[in-house]
Amino acid sequence: MTGSSPEYRPGAYREAAAHSLRETPMVRDSVGSATRTFDSLRAHAYADVESDRWRDWARDVKGHALTHLDQYLEQAERSLVRNGVHVHWAATAEDVHRVIAKVVETHGVRTVVKSKSMLSEELDVNAHLESLGVRPVETDLGEYIIQLLDEPPSHIVGPAIHRSLDDCRVLFHERLGTPLDSEPDELAAAARAALREDFLSADLGISGGNFLAADTGTVALIENEGNIRLTTSVPRVHVALVGIEKVVPRFEDLAGLLQLTARAATGQPIGLFVSLIQGPRTGDEVDGPEEVHVVLVDNGRTTLFEDDVAWEALRCVRCGACLNICPVYRQTGGHAYGWTYSGPIGAIISPGLLGLDRALPLPHASSLCGACTDVCPVRIPIPELLIHWRERTVDEGRNSTAERLGMKAYAGLAERPGAFSAAASALRWTPWRAAGRALPVLSGWVQERDAPSPSPRSFRDLWREGIE
Amino acid sequence: MRVALFVTCLGDQFFAEACADAVRLLRHVGAEVSFPTDQTCCGQPAFNSGHRREALRMMRHTTQVFADAEYVVLPSGSCAGMVRSMYSGLSDTDEARAAAEDLAARTYELSEFLVSVADCEELGDGLTGHRVAYHHGCHALRELGVSDQPVTLLRSCGAEVIEWSADRECCGFGGTFSAKLPEVSAAMADHKLDTLPDVDVVTSADGGCLLQLSGRAGRRELPVPFRHLASLLWQGVAGAEAPRGSA
Amino acid sequence: MNTRDQILTAIRAARERRTPVEHPGRFGGWRPVEPPPPLEGFEAMFTQAGGEVVHVSGTVERDDWLRTFLAEFQHLSMGAGVPPGIADLGPTRINPGDEHAADVGVSMARGAIAETGSLMMDARDGRRAQLLPPVLVVLVDRSTVHATVADAFESARGDLSAAIGLHSGPSKSADIGQVMVKGVHGPGRVIAVLA
Ligand code: SF4
Repeated sequence: MTGSSPEYRPGAYREAAAHSLRETPMVRDSVGSATRTFDSLRAHAYADVESDRWRDWARDVKGHALTHLDQYLEQAERSLVRNGVHVHWAATAEDVHRVIAKVVETHGVRTVVKSKSMLSEELDVNAHLESLGVRPVETDLGEYIIQLLDEPPSHIVGPAIHRSLDDCRVLFHERLGTPLDSEPDELAAAARAALREDFLSADLGISGGNFLAADTGTVALIENEGNIRLTTSVPRVHVALVGIEKVVPRFEDLAGLLQLTARAATGQPIGLFVSLIQGPRTGDEVDGPEEVHVVLVDNGRTTLFEDDVAWEALRCVRCGACLNICPVYRQTGGHAYGWTYSGPIGAIISPGLLGLDRALPLPHASSLCGACTDVCPVRIPIPELLIHWRERTVDEGRNSTAERLGMKAYAGLAERPGAFSAAASALRWTPWRAAGRALPVLSGWVQERDAPSPSPRSFRDLWREGIE
Repeated sequence: MRVALFVTCLGDQFFAEACADAVRLLRHVGAEVSFPTDQTCCGQPAFNSGHRREALRMMRHTTQVFADAEYVVLPSGSCAGMVRSMYSGLSDTDEARAAAEDLAARTYELSEFLVSVADCEELGDGLTGHRVAYHHGCHALRELGVSDQPVTLLRSCGAEVIEWSADRECCGFGGTFSAKLPEVSAAMADHKLDTLPDVDVVTSADGGCLLQLSGRAGRRELPVPFRHLASLLWQGVAGAEAPRGSA
Repeated sequence: MNTRDQILTAIRAARERRTPVEHPGRFGGWRPVEPPPPLEGFEAMFTQAGGEVVHVSGTVERDDWLRTFLAEFQHLSMGAGVPPGIADLGPTRINPGDEHAADVGVSMARGAIAETGSLMMDARDGRRAQLLPPVLVVLVDRSTVHATVADAFESARGDLSAAIGLHSGPSKSADIGQVMVKGVHGPGRVIAVLA
C-alpha cells in the first residue's frame, strides 16, 4: 500500500476503496484491463469444452471430499507418511510458524525460496522468516514485484495486476539497475538472473499446494513460470503449506481438477508446469529434496466448515475467476479488501476465517449481481453465501441501529397497504439531500448521483383515474 | 389471460407512466389487467441486506395479495427475480413454501410475459430509426434468464439495438449497496456510461438500474436519455403519438 | 488433545450435519467435438502453447537431428534416462549438479498427453536437468502418448516417483504489465522429439 492509503484491514474497505478510486485511478485501469482479459480467456476456454458438465463434476468431487473430510485427511496423512513425508497439523498461524522455525533451525537455513502461496500470505510466513533472521525470496515474478514494493498481493492469481509496465520499469531500474526503457522480456531476464542465484543457494523451498490426493499422498501444484518446480526440486528441504480443504480422494481426480482450474483461472488447457509431488528424493533419483514436510493447515477452516451454509465456500480452488468477472473488484483491485483474499471469494471466506466482526463490511461489498457464481468452476453459490453473512450480521446485531429500526418499520408498513402508499408518496417528495441526515440511505445516494425525479403522480393515482 | 400487475415500489413512485405503459402493452396483447391495490413491496431490500424476518413478512403479504391471480407481471426484472427465485428458499413453513412456489410459477417480468406467454414477437414500428442501448439488469439476466426477449421486442418495433461491450455488466445499483458503498457503486456506473456507444436512448427492464445510471449521468452532466423498457415498447406500438413515459 | 485430533474432532462433529455428496466418478473430459488422434492432438496442443515438435523415424534419424541441433550450444546437461550415446553428439557434457551452467539440456519424458499437450517428466530422469537449462530437448517415445490426462494418471499411479512434472510448453509469465514473456524460470524453449 502506498504511504497515504487508509489502513490495510477489511474494516477500512469503504475508505480504502474510495481512496483508491480517487487517488490511484491507474489501479482501476490496470485491474480493469487485466481482469477483462483473464475473463475473456476464461470464457473461450469454457466454450471449448462442456464446461457445465466439468463444473458439476468438480463441484461433486470437492463436495464429496468435504463431506468425508476427516477420512480423507487421515488417508492423506497415511499416504504421505508412507512416502517418507513429515506431516504436521497446524491449527493456527503460530503452529505453522513453529514448524518452519524448527526446520530452519535443524538445517541452518539462511535463504528460503518461495513459490506463490496465498496460504503463506494468510499466515504471514515472510514476516515470521524475517524475524528468524532468514531471507525469504518470492520467486513468482508477480510476487517478486510486490515483495520489492513491500505490498501484499492484490489478486489470488495475478498478485501484481494492479501495477503497470511503467511501474515495473521504474522498480526494476531502482532495484536491479535495468535501463528505464527496458522491455518486459529484458525485465524478466533480469529477475530470472537475480532469482537464479537464490534458487541455487537456498536451503529451503516453501510452496503451497493446490490439491492433495489422499490415496497417493500427492501434492499437486499449478503454475506457468517453472518457479514452483524449482522451489520444490532444487533446495535440500521442501515445506508445502496445504489447507485442509485441499484434500481430494484420488490421484485420478487431479486429471479434471488441474484442467478445470487452469481454464477458469487463465483460460489455459492446463498450467504450463504441474508438479505432482509424492515425497523426498528416493534411492534411484539423482536430485530433488532430501526432506519434504507437508503442513496441514486449519487456521479458521474448521470454523468455516462448521457453518451450515458457508461451508460450501471450502470447495474453492482459488482460480480467481470470480474476481475477474466481479464488477466491484474491477473498480479497486484487491488491496481495498484489506486482507489476503479479495473479491467475491474473499467476501465469503473472510468472515469464517477471521471472524465476522473483523471481516465486515466485506459481505456487503457486492451488488449481488451474481456474475461470480456463473463462472465459478466448483459452483459455489456466492450471492447466497453473501446474503447468509448479511443475515448473520443482523442476527448478531452488528448492523446499525438505524438500519435495524428502518427495516422493521419498513416491513410493518409493507403489511399495511394504505400506510405504505402514503409513506412512499411522502418519500417521493422528500428533498433527498436535506433528508440525508436522517436517512443515511439517501445521503449515500446523493453523494454520487442526482436524486431521481419522481413521477408527477404515482401509478396508484393513474390507475384510479383510469389508464387509456 | 388475466394479468395482475405488480408495479413495485420504484415503479409506483418513479416510473408511474412506464407502469401505465405496461398496462397498455398488456391490454394490447389481449390481457385483462388488474391492479390489486393491497400490493406493497416484494421484500427484496430486506432480503438482500440480511433482514430475513422482515423479508418473510413482506413475502407473506405478497403471496396473499396475488393468491388468486392467473398471471402476475412485473415491469421489473429484479423484483420478479425475488418472487420467482428467492421466495421458495425464504419460506419458513411447508405451507409458505407451497404458496411461494405456486406464485413463482405464475410470475413473469413484462417482456418475458409478452414473448413467452402472450406469444408476441411483433408490436409495431414506432421505434424505426431509433438507436437503442439495452442494459441487462443482473437479476433479469441471471435469476430469470431474460436476455433475448427485450431485445427481440425492441427490434420488432424497428429499433436498432446497438452493441455495448458492458451491456451485461452490473450498473452498481444493488439496492442498499448503492448507498452503503456509494463510491464503488458510482465507479461501476461510470464504467457503463464510459463504454456507452452513441445512441438515442438507453433502456432496461429494471427501474433501479435506470435510476442509478441516470442519476450518475446527471451528476456527471452527461446528456444521455434513459427510458423504461415498458415506455419504449409502448412507443413501439403507438408511435410517437404515444403518451410519453416519465423516465 | 493434540492439534491433529482437535482438528479432526471438529470436522467430524460438523460433518454429521452434512448430507454426503457422492463421488461423481472418473473425469470424462467432456467436449462438444471428438478430439483428434493422440499424436496429432499432442502436437496441436503443445505447439499452441509455444512448444516445438520434431518427428523422427528412429534412433539414427533422432541422433542426426540432435547432432545438428546441438551444434550451436556449448554445454549440455543430460537426464539420467537419456541414451548415453547422445553425450557424444556435440557440446561438452556438464556434470550432474552443474545443470545451471548448461545452455541446453536433453531429458527423457516418461510419457506425453494429447488432451493438454503435456510432457510427463519423471524425477528419476533428474529434475534440475529438466528445469535449469534455457533450452530443453525432450525425447518422447510415441507409444507413450496418452489421449487424456485421466488415462495418463491411471497408468502412472502404480509407478510414482518422488515427483512428476507435466511440462506443457515453454515457461511464461504475464506478470509484468500483462505482457507475455517467455523463459522466466523454466526453459524458454522446449522441443519435443517424438521417435
Ligand atoms: S470462489 Fe469459485 S471462482 Fe472464486 S476463486 Fe474460488 S473457485 Fe474460483
